[in-house]
Amino acid sequence: MKVIVKSFANIRDVLNTGELLLDVAAGTTIGGLFAFLTERYGAAFDRQIRDQMSGDIVPFLVMINETVYRTTTDLGVSLTDGDAVTVMIPFDGG
Amino acid sequence: MHRSDFRYKGYAGKLLRVNLSAGTWRDEPLTNELAEGYIGGAGMAARILYDELKPGIDPLSPENKAIFLTGPVVGTMIPTANRIGLYAKSPLTNSFFHSSAGGHFAPELKFAGYDGIIFEGKAPQPVYLFIDDGHIELRPATHLWGMDTNRVQLALFEELGSEEIHIAAIGPAGEKLVRFACVICGCRALGRGGLGAVLGSKQLKAVAVRGQGAVEVPDMQRMKLFLDEIFARFNANPATAEILPRYGTPVMVNANNSLGLFGYKNWQDEFYPDAEGLSGDTMRKKIVKRDKSCFACPARCGKFSIGGPGPYEGVRNEGPEYEDIFSLGSMCGHNDIEVVSAAERLCDDLGVDAIETGVSIAFAMECFERGLLSLKDTDGIDLKFGRADLIIPVIEKIAQRDGALGSLLAEGVKRAAEKIGNGSEHFAMHGKGLTFAGHSARGMPGFALGYATGPRGGSHHDGRPTGERTGLVPRETIEGKGEYTARINHLMILTDSMILCHLTEGIWGPLDITDLVVRCLNTATGMNVTLDEARTAAERMWNLIRAFGVREGYRREHDRLPPRFMEEPIKSGPSRGMVISRQMLDDMLDQYYEFRGWDKQTGIPTAERLKALGLEDVARDLEKYR
Repeated sequence: MKVIVKSFANIRDVLNTGELLLDVAAGTTIGGLFAFLTERYGAAFDRQIRDQMSGDIVPFLVMINETVYRTTTDLGVSLTDGDAVTVMIPFDGG
Repeated sequence: MHRSDFRYKGYAGKLLRVNLSAGTWRDEPLTNELAEGYIGGAGMAARILYDELKPGIDPLSPENKAIFLTGPVVGTMIPTANRIGLYAKSPLTNSFFHSSAGGHFAPELKFAGYDGIIFEGKAPQPVYLFIDDGHIELRPATHLWGMDTNRVQLALFEELGSEEIHIAAIGPAGEKLVRFACVICGCRALGRGGLGAVLGSKQLKAVAVRGQGAVEVPDMQRMKLFLDEIFARFNANPATAEILPRYGTPVMVNANNSLGLFGYKNWQDEFYPDAEGLSGDTMRKKIVKRDKSCFACPARCGKFSIGGPGPYEGVRNEGPEYEDIFSLGSMCGHNDIEVVSAAERLCDDLGVDAIETGVSIAFAMECFERGLLSLKDTDGIDLKFGRADLIIPVIEKIAQRDGALGSLLAEGVKRAAEKIGNGSEHFAMHGKGLTFAGHSARGMPGFALGYATGPRGGSHHDGRPTGERTGLVPRETIEGKGEYTARINHLMILTDSMILCHLTEGIWGPLDITDLVVRCLNTATGMNVTLDEARTAAERMWNLIRAFGVREGYRREHDRLPPRFMEEPIKSGPSRGMVISRQMLDDMLDQYYEFRGWDKQTGIPTAERLKALGLEDVARDLEKYR
């Protein structure tokens, strides 16, 4: 199935585009999408979403179309064909 | 090198008290009770000002006092331990206020042998204070009066014969008592609450500091091990290792706007379709030339910018930060990052808080578009949203209190709305007189509660958006948000007392005081504080600040949000429909007061709770306000 990954800032830098069209296996989850991107882009992508000391994906929000999900609870949510996945950059402070 | 006999390391061990009316000063030893009970920074200043200020005084009178204060970790190598705090009764909120800035001023003050400076009275003529490694001088500043903050610093470098001096200065806005005048240290702002006007009211133009001492720690080996750990954490975390160094705080433009949590046109909406022009990505591409760090911080979140070809070509700025982009850009309905950068630089030069300034202009734009302000009221300016070309001229009018518009807005949004009337209070976007920063209330209920109950009102550093914005806690519910907000309050006030930067709260918190924060304090000072004791100390400070507000008349009915946040749901974007109704806010207030042990009817801390926190004297004081 096809999904679009929308991103900005550091993640856009790694993906080299703000909108990336991907062909992923049916039933791919949010966590599976991150694994797919890590495999394709390596440590450069992993460093943007994962604490390199604990090995855990850090808390941030992901939007599928206009519905917001949390990496703390929703990594198992499945994507469907045609979904647009916006990766909110994991950022504290402000 | 200054050696302190004070019981705890980390501290310089003394304060400087300056009587500006008499032109005298004296050293005051720090007491164990102040350090143990209130740590430093905001907590210590709250205790001093609670004890020394009479309730009801005019914040711009000589009766007010202004305190510059560091904290015990400042000046060590601990990352972000570089912040200077400024404390006084605020001319915007009429209550205790604290504002802090990074950079290099605070470590320099410690190196010069002082934890802080207390200013009281009013100088008969403009003066500045020079602390040169323990040598003190109050010098005439008549020749500096009227100068902008950048020129003052350059002039003092020349006058004092060195650029190895760190300076905090007010600009023309502080001199003219603009109620949201700020203080600039280097390129960093002690921005909020109008504390620059307090210095202006005292005719104190600047404080210049040079020090060659050091900050002692109790056990260097222990400190080295702690630093190894904390730097490893900074290097492992995506926010501090990757995102802040590359994009700084402007990364939040796209993050918040994508979620529909980005204030637009005076919060008429929270989604700006053309926000990309203001994004961290655009800013980095168009104007950022290099990254900058504060003292002892690896995050490099400061962005040094130079304007490109066009009307703002060559304008140099450390920034803009996210809050400036929100207030001077999106809130005013335009997306020209070069205008924002030039406007923010002008705010710093003239010495006005960029958040308050941008939001005040946005408020005036909405009043003008609704016909509540006429061309006569705006001095002939066609003050419509989207007019990026008007931002800079209006800033100049505000900072100089020039004309009808400048005089009106220099009083702040709350007072301007009271003068304009005709329903403008509905969209006067302030809490307790301080305009809201660039983080949504409607889309994050716990944070909305933080805004409503915050002693500073519209500050985004009493409550915090981080837990709900990163998904650590759900943002769709009000359940549990009373305790959630109270615990964040305690993390904020403890780190504001040590003083650590909140931008790295993912390392230190972000939802509660952690063992890491406590170990940081103990490693720097040699204290042996437990996690429970640290939480109690933070709660003590929070209750003391609340008590300060109670003496000034603040009660439950002031823990509110503006009608717009409670009656108008977000119109568009992914957070469309979200609102904090009065009922939701009341339910969260009940939760919050109950968790805190405060009276639910009045919002006043109970005598029992105050006594349990060691605030017996405060409990006695508050009896007459119940």
